[in-house]
Amino acid sequence: MSSLIAIAEQVEQLPISVAIAESQYAFPIIEGVHLIGLSIAVGLLFITDLRLAGAILRRVPLTQVLHQLRPWILGGFASIFITGGLLFLAEATTLIANPAFKFKLVFIALAAINAAYFEFVIAKKAGAELDRPVIPANVKFAGLASLTLWTIVIVCGRLIPYLPSAP
Amino acid sequence: MSTADILTAIQDSPIAHAISKSNHLVAAGLQVVHVLGFIALLAALVLVSLRILKLVLNQQPLSEVTRDANRLFYLGLSLTVCSGVLMFVSSPKLYFYKYAFELKMLLFVAAIVIQFAVLRRVAANENPKPFAARAAVALSLTAWFGIGLAGRMIGFT
Repeated sequence: MSSLIAIAEQVEQLPISVAIAESQYAFPIIEGVHLIGLSIAVGLLFITDLRLAGAILRRVPLTQVLHQLRPWILGGFASIFITGGLLFLAEATTLIANPAFKFKLVFIALAAINAAYFEFVIAKKAGAELDRPVIPANVKFAGLASLTLWTIVIVCGRLIPYLPSAP
Repeated sequence: MSTADILTAIQDSPIAHAISKSNHLVAAGLQVVHVLGFIALLAALVLVSLRILKLVLNQQPLSEVTRDANRLFYLGLSLTVCSGVLMFVSSPKLYFYKYAFELKMLLFVAAIVIQFAVLRRVAANENPKPFAARAAVALSLTAWFGIGLAGRMIGFT
């Protein structure tokens, strides 16, 4: 842990980190772009999850929703990771000591594992069956799991400034 | 009764006291509901925008996509408005004189007008004219994304 703190301290000293932390507008603007990227990537992911669960767009074939929304979701995620990385640079030492931030990273990892399992195991096995009117139980479950995990990620993210950092 | 009197009256109301005197996690909870609602609202809006521009779900009727998206839009709108009103009521004097807050409210009024007077009218046509489609989507997304940016500025100004 102490070496992690040392790394975070060095990260915070980088010229770009200092520039973001010291500018009056850089931090909130990057946070705003982070929020907009989030609403595109996680927003469209929520749409996909709700379709997997059979809650919306039931008459649209599932594979159409999955394939056509994917590039927008991935593009949105790229912008979230870039802006999230920049925000981290400016606050590295406080963030690694923040409980909400730690939980956020754990739940991002769980959501990624769930997405990878759906993509490479469940969807591959189901194949064309995905477009049948009756949604298989494991597909529904993967959608609800994704919806829950990403909601927790957002809740943790918003709680970062509200929970005290503890070393 | 001046504006300051009205703001003071709101700030002294029982509901304002209930929120501002409670644990700080109540305020945090309102922020969480506000951002989740905003994401639900924007998710619906981004989906409809992409469909209007014929970038996704082209094989589906526009009316079918908007019908399902609208339910999510109204869910998100009610969550953000309810949590937002409660946040404002808890400390009206803090928000009212902030430039970023004023900008956010102006953009919100604009976004609602654009939503019902422009975007809905364009989406009512199964095949909107390309220029009208692009203009409506650009106006609507600019207003809603602007709300997000202005909202993030509130805490920093």
